Amino acid sequence: MDARQRILEATYACVARFGVSKTTVEDAAREAGLSRATVYRYFPGGRDELVDAVVSWQYLVFFGQLYEEVRGAASLEEVLERGLAYARQAVLEHEVLQKILDTEPEVLMPKLTVESNRTVGLIAGFLVPYLVEHGLAEGVELHEAADFVARMILSYISSPGHWDLGDPAQVATLVRTELLAGVVAGPGTGPGLTPP
Amino acid sequence: MRQIRPYCLTVGVRLELVRGRASAPASAVSPEALPAADATPVRTRVVDAALDCIARQGVAKTTLDDVARRAGCSRATVYRAFPGGKDAVLRAVVDTEVSRFFSALAVRMGTANDIEDVLVAGMHEAALGITGHRALSRLLCHEPETVLSQLAFARMDEALALTCQFTAPFLGRWLDPAESRRVAEWAARIVVSYLACPADGVDLTDPVQVRRLVCLFVLPGIRTLVPARTRTDAASRGRSSPATFATDPYPSTEGEVS
Repeated sequence: MDARQRILEATYACVARFGVSKTTVEDAAREAGLSRATVYRYFPGGRDELVDAVVSWQYLVFFGQLYEEVRGAASLEEVLERGLAYARQAVLEHEVLQKILDTEPEVLMPKLTVESNRTVGLIAGFLVPYLVEHGLAEGVELHEAADFVARMILSYISSPGHWDLGDPAQVATLVRTELLAGVVAGPGTGPGLTPP
Repeated sequence: MRQIRPYCLTVGVRLELVRGRASAPASAVSPEALPAADATPVRTRVVDAALDCIARQGVAKTTLDDVARRAGCSRATVYRAFPGGKDAVLRAVVDTEVSRFFSALAVRMGTANDIEDVLVAGMHEAALGITGHRALSRLLCHEPETVLSQLAFARMDEALALTCQFTAPFLGRWLDPAESRRVAEWAARIVVSYLACPADGVDLTDPVQVRRLVCLFVLPGIRTLVPARTRTDAASRGRSSPATFATDPYPSTEGEVS
């Protein structure tokens, strides 16, 4: 593991223990078994830059795991249903995230917002081949369809509203109505769909 | 100075406006303040003054002295009207602005004549209200964490529920209460998403683009909920193109949540 990654993991461990506000560069250095000077060499912006980097890294980890979960999906509906259920559960079970949201949510914002904006594009890109294969509704452009579905996914993962994403029937309904109704041309050939 | 967090949006906000609720007369007014003939209650002046201060210098830098000066009264008077201090003043400011926001939505949505128009009206007005709000824009620019932290994850769920409470009834002419709540929450979610994360070609302050979004994504979603009803409604107005009224691809409503 290179030094930069070691510092990130060490910082994350400190955040898990003390929270973001109470984690210092010294804490991270000590945990990583490195000198303060070394930490500052990799993160000249100090604590703020370090925290930003940890958030970015954890964001990548989260969506990397989501990608692994859905990459084998056979249909657009399956991608979305599996993705939503898995991602929502992952958010709820992410202890450090939940702790920060509880005690010091403002330290995550607006960093999380910036990351989310970037992630919409990544998710949209991932969905494109599935959308193409399924076929789009008339008058809908591919990039706007992908963008719409992607941003909706992010929204439900963090704030599902009245939806219970732990209930497969609700997830299927959500995908069918609020994600895909205007986007796709008709029922796909994937499993779990009601034929017309 | 300790960081004051704005009072978060809770489902308990009432629609009545703060203005006119209190009747405490102004006392110990400083010389450069409002003329004695002005009967505006102290509470109202303090809330208006606080909003003005926040719009100009943000929440963290706004002190009760600033607010008192702007309101044209003494600090003691402010404390008499708001024993809870700055927190209580902020709470009142948020209550007032949220009430104004939903009042404006109510006016727009109340005059719409079909479900497409009511959705366009609500979403457009919401976008205007949010992007055009001076104090909110200032906060989002300089102290974004104060606003965004109150509108993320579980807090966003609360905000969606609150919005739903106010806007769902306007869909009641076409949808049953459960359907109305679902669609209202969805529309709010869409507005928040496009405002928080702008996309090319989707400017929600442009009613034409809002209508396109509604027709493209929202109405079809509603049709999968209540295919027969909305199809008849819209078809009788001859508004939509034949393509959008092709055979409903998902006629079954099994597994629906009400």
